[in-house]
Amino acid sequence: MALQRARMTIDPVLLQQVINGLSLGAMYALLALGFTLVYGILELINFAHFNVFMVSSFIGMWALQLLGLSGQSQVLTGMALVGTLAFAFAVTMLAAGVLGVAIERIALRPLRNVRGTAAMITTIGVSYILFNIILLTVGASSLNYPNPLPTVRWNVGGAVLQLREVLIWAITLVLMLALHLFVNRTRLGKAMRATAQDAEAARMMGVDVDRVVITAFFLGSALAGAAALIFGLYYNFTSFIIGYTAGLRAFTAAVLGGIGSVTGAMVGGVLIGLIESLGGHFFATRWADVIIFSILILVLVFVPSGLFGRAAATRA
Amino acid sequence: MTVGETFTWLRRTGPIGRIAPHLSSRSVAAMVFALAVLFPIVHRNDADIDSAANALTYAALALGLNIVVGLAGLLDLGYAAFFAIGAYAYGVAASWQVTPEWTSFWDSFQWLGLVTRFHETGGDVVHFQVSFWLMMPVAAAMTAFFGVLFGFPTLRLKGDYLAIVTLGFGEIVPIVVRNTPSVTNGAMGLNGVMAPQLFGWSFGVDATPYYYVGLLLVAFLILTSQRLKFSRIGRAWMAIREDEIAAAAMGVNRVKLKLLAFATGAAFAGATGTLFVAKLQTATPDMFGFPVSVMILVMVVFGGIGSVWGVVLGALILQILQSWFLEDLSQWLHALGRLVHVEWLQRVELASSIELIFGLILVTMMLYRREGLIPATRRVAALTIEEQSAQVAAGRFETLTGLGALDEALDNPEAGPLLAVDGLTVRFGGLVALRSVALAVPPHSVLAVIGPNGSGKSTLFNAVTGLVPLNEGNIRFGGAEIAGKPPHVVLDRGIARTFQNIRLFPNLTVLENVLIGMHARLRTGAVEALLRLPRTQREEHEAREHALEILAVFGNRLLPRVDHVVSSLSYANRRRVEIARALASQPTLLLLDEPTAGMNPAETLELADQIRSLNRLGLTIVLIEHKLDVVVNLADKVIVLDHGEKIAEGTPAEIRRDEEVIRAYLGRSAAIA
Repeated sequence: MALQRARMTIDPVLLQQVINGLSLGAMYALLALGFTLVYGILELINFAHFNVFMVSSFIGMWALQLLGLSGQSQVLTGMALVGTLAFAFAVTMLAAGVLGVAIERIALRPLRNVRGTAAMITTIGVSYILFNIILLTVGASSLNYPNPLPTVRWNVGGAVLQLREVLIWAITLVLMLALHLFVNRTRLGKAMRATAQDAEAARMMGVDVDRVVITAFFLGSALAGAAALIFGLYYNFTSFIIGYTAGLRAFTAAVLGGIGSVTGAMVGGVLIGLIESLGGHFFATRWADVIIFSILILVLVFVPSGLFGRAAATRA
Repeated sequence: MTVGETFTWLRRTGPIGRIAPHLSSRSVAAMVFALAVLFPIVHRNDADIDSAANALTYAALALGLNIVVGLAGLLDLGYAAFFAIGAYAYGVAASWQVTPEWTSFWDSFQWLGLVTRFHETGGDVVHFQVSFWLMMPVAAAMTAFFGVLFGFPTLRLKGDYLAIVTLGFGEIVPIVVRNTPSVTNGAMGLNGVMAPQLFGWSFGVDATPYYYVGLLLVAFLILTSQRLKFSRIGRAWMAIREDEIAAAAMGVNRVKLKLLAFATGAAFAGATGTLFVAKLQTATPDMFGFPVSVMILVMVVFGGIGSVWGVVLGALILQILQSWFLEDLSQWLHALGRLVHVEWLQRVELASSIELIFGLILVTMMLYRREGLIPATRRVAALTIEEQSAQVAAGRFETLTGLGALDEALDNPEAGPLLAVDGLTVRFGGLVALRSVALAVPPHSVLAVIGPNGSGKSTLFNAVTGLVPLNEGNIRFGGAEIAGKPPHVVLDRGIARTFQNIRLFPNLTVLENVLIGMHARLRTGAVEALLRLPRTQREEHEAREHALEILAVFGNRLLPRVDHVVSSLSYANRRRVEIARALASQPTLLLLDEPTAGMNPAETLELADQIRSLNRLGLTIVLIEHKLDVVVNLADKVIVLDHGEKIAEGTPAEIRRDEEVIRAYLGRSAAIA
């Protein structure tokens, strides 16, 4: 009885925040996977990832515009909607993946064997370049995102569940399942896991480490592409500045889950999404970032291996 | 040249003569300073003087970040937060932002001139008016405190993780500033910050006085940076940057020195923050965000990470580029656009692309010139063929008498062994690396530890020197328990070591490496390094003399190469430098981990001879060695490890006959045969 009553009286606003948090979390998880894949293999924190995400959101926008969509006026249904989304996701993920690979090939591979933080500083530089290319070409104002999703709402315990949320969850789950199968069931996936354990040993066993690194960058960036499209469809806008905040939150998610761990990135992403929406619910929204960055610092200092990771943050 | 001649020559001209290499460029520095003083007098353009004053502010920030990133190797991506703390400290203390009600509590402060009583309808309130000249050091001390507070829990993190944590800190500070409007006026920013006054004359809004304060600040920070860099403190920072583990094993207290670097860098930013806010007379949270931290990092990378003059040059060039050159270049492009009738050329605003340029600079420098405009380490010309192929000269040991000398209390047969290990067990997860190992090393003896690869020999050294935690057992050195002591304490007690896979500080010179070995034996602290009193100079001078004496142990192998960075040395010479570095700490016990690995038979013999000579001087030695002839030659006693257990102990002759040893080394069949 007591349980039943508790369920009946659940605060609809809270439930709404959980729904929002799960959607944000799905996006952060996809973005966090990019950090984790690259870190797992190269032990490199890739700041370029922030703005690969941002650039991808524009690519997604252009892809949708290519199909003649603009703003939120044209709503599609049925196969037209599925086809449009499939096209947009395919184009965005492919382009983002190619961008990630290009960054690795041009700016990072020459520094592969350089000790210290040179490679990380380079990724900051690359991130700045991407940021400013968009700023200088597209401009500083945020743009209205084409959104073909019809407004379908369900009432769940007083909260509103929209079609876009269900879609976001479904797409994220499919992508994560695909990644999981790739990493655990394919030859290249096995090579990736081996390289993450010990790159030198993997190389001696005949693993083409360059190919593994490129795969990691491609997959991570492609997932950032998916996250970027989700961002656009969720918030209905994009701008040159979206990379930094979303990227830092996603990085926090990766750290919270245990950087290097694929499962950790997924769980961490959802947790950060929930923390952001519920933190805004329980505290003032303006403190949400302080909460998230404090989590980042506290996790790194006290539980550097995160929820699922290998201990890596402190020196051996 | 014989060893003696080389030695005399070095003493006359070499590194001893140049205790601080920057002093030779003192006249150049004075000239640059004089030109900088003349600049506003000659060039009476307010806008340009204003830009120059701003450029000096960033040069000061770059100098501070250079201490943290360049010298100590701690990548700080939230450096602007310290800048913000300094700026807001002065901003709040010298504006009408916070006006508490007047009570008698404030009387004494009014008497000191820190506050005034202001009449307002509804009661008198306090107006803060703390002097700029007082606030600059106070703000520096405050930010240094924040640096320590923030650094303490985070500094054990690995480089890239530390960067992320600092980035988070750098984000939090502006958000806190934005969200506490009662003190900071939030996003609107501080208003009406008082201009500094000097003898009753207010600086006002004219840029010139700020330019001169900035110039003095930068000059002072350059001096501070240079003096710290070429001192015991700076060398310890660079050792941490190059190899943290080796630095600890050579006596550097990592926590203390990292905190010192963080505090020093933060103090630079704090002092600069006061100048910045005094000049602008306002401050908003946006002035201290991530882009500012990155801009300062770009200046450091561009000028040369770790190079004091480099980062100043980098900061000045980038600021001047931003405020002068890009404007002009844009104008030229507009003119060109009008000339050739190209629409977009007429609209180009290069100043807005400065961040793109920053990004390009970061990537380009990292890919093609990581050492920056002015590299921090000078490359010394390689030796000539004649010098390289010079006859090997015998080492000199006579100056090293007293090496390994012990207190009388320890130096007698009844005192027991110098090092006594008992029941030592080390586990890594499920793997037992050492199981109940016991050994005793009498004073002035040589003990050899042998055993197959993976038998736990190096783990034994790591456990004794505090680099790996032990699970059980005692380690007594000179009668005192040292188990569980951190590496720098173990070294301070008198145990120095070398590493199997050579852990030198690769980008430092032979001399610097050896001087870092003396870290625990020298006393100069940060303040003394800054003041450079006669006592400090004498200590530094003697340290260099002593370093040369130690290097002379290896004849003319190392002496002609004292100013070479060790990464340019041959493998055998690197092994010798590592031994010299260990000797520099004046150990009573020397742990050598495969000292002759990678040496040819002649070099092996030479080194074995030198090790024996060191032992004859009184030094107690434990060595791990695979070459059995070396072991037989040197060791008084041998212990044999296999799978983490001691399987035999005895004189070299006894060990050679021991069946279990033969089985461990050569397999069962060999033992039966």
